[in-house]
Amino acid sequence: MHWQYVIPGYVIVFGGLAGYIWTLLARIRAVAEQVPEEKRAFLD
Amino acid sequence: MAVLAVVVFQGLRNARVFFLNVDEAIAQKTDLGERTFRMQGIVVSEEGNASDGAFLFTVAFNDATANIQHIGPEPSDLFDLGEPVVVEGRWNGDVFQSDQILVKHDESYVEDNPNRVDYELDPS
Amino acid sequence: MSTALTGPSSSKASRVIGLLALASTAILLLVGLVLSPPEVDQADSVRLMYIHVPSAIASLYLAFGVTFIGSVIYLRTQSTFWDLMAHAGAEIGVMFCAFVLLTGMLWGRPTWGVYWQWDPRLTSTVISFVLYLGYLAVRKMDLDPAVRSRRAAILGIISFANLIIVRYSVQWWRSLHQGNTVGRDTQMDGLILFSFFWGILTFTLIFTWLLIHRFRLAWYEHQAGATSLDDAIAARRAERTPPLAGEAL
Repeated sequence: MHWQYVIPGYVIVFGGLAGYIWTLLARIRAVAEQVPEEKRAFLD
Repeated sequence: MAVLAVVVFQGLRNARVFFLNVDEAIAQKTDLGERTFRMQGIVVSEEGNASDGAFLFTVAFNDATANIQHIGPEPSDLFDLGEPVVVEGRWNGDVFQSDQILVKHDESYVEDNPNRVDYELDPS
Repeated sequence: MSTALTGPSSSKASRVIGLLALASTAILLLVGLVLSPPEVDQADSVRLMYIHVPSAIASLYLAFGVTFIGSVIYLRTQSTFWDLMAHAGAEIGVMFCAFVLLTGMLWGRPTWGVYWQWDPRLTSTVISFVLYLGYLAVRKMDLDPAVRSRRAAILGIISFANLIIVRYSVQWWRSLHQGNTVGRDTQMDGLILFSFFWGILTFTLIFTWLLIHRFRLAWYEHQAGATSLDDAIAARRAERTPPLAGEAL
């Protein structure tokens, strides 16, 4: 009972996470091209 | 900022006292007059539907009881004897006229064990 | 683009965390949606709790906690690392906070009977959401980077104070929302309890992975900006006569 509330909740959260991760990786790749290899490292 | 202001205002207005308990609502009956407020109590009996369509039940808290006459949306499935509810409405004489029933759930989580006898669940 | 060990968006450590998070998510879905039983009153809607409470912990404690710590350290030391960390935490936290509000509403409808009430816990959580949206807006403002970081840091600290209200709202005021679920005397049965804690573990892993990557983005942006804007900023700074530190806010 109440699956009609459970399913949208899981779709929002895991769909939202997947979408955010997808965009995040795309943003990282796009900006990485503008950074010279030797300036990418941090903390090491 | 405007959104934030509205949210803070709404919040402060309601958060001061989100609800009164039955005993407090009875003690403050004259002050409350016909004002709309929320009242918390445990459902102690259900009298069913009146001829005018109102749903009648009784809530109690701290040895005080109040008769509720509810006209409005049906409460959630969790509405049951022994469950705490918050009703929103106003005093009309000795009867509390409710527009909304909120079922309060506490922080306990109990497995619905198939071996446990549960008359609430429809076997089908 | 690709070196032997790492691409632009991954490192060995973050890959391990990513794989652990994925495996953990699979187990959470299996236990939370299939193996665990419905709750005696809430029926299956209790399953929303396995993502609602972990989202709240990831957002309000972990993500905004990073923003708070980053803001405090930035104000004291002007550390670029912590400035970027604070920004990364806020963005991730806002997303998880949206999840908290939405899953909470979906749980509230079958349980309380309504999606929303201006209850102390719900209200203070929305205020947090709006405050950190404001934080992200400050981060987008077209200002001198040092002034912008300083303003953001101050907002990061102010917003954290509100989180204390969120935490104790269910104790300080009467609320429709139940008391804090995870505490000294947790009242939960076997697999429901397991799903709860597995959810928290899973979301902590996801959060860690996200923070590493969001920080990496911020770092690249900073480095890219530093390369192209170094001269421009130096020129702009030189034109300014008053010192920057005193005028922020």
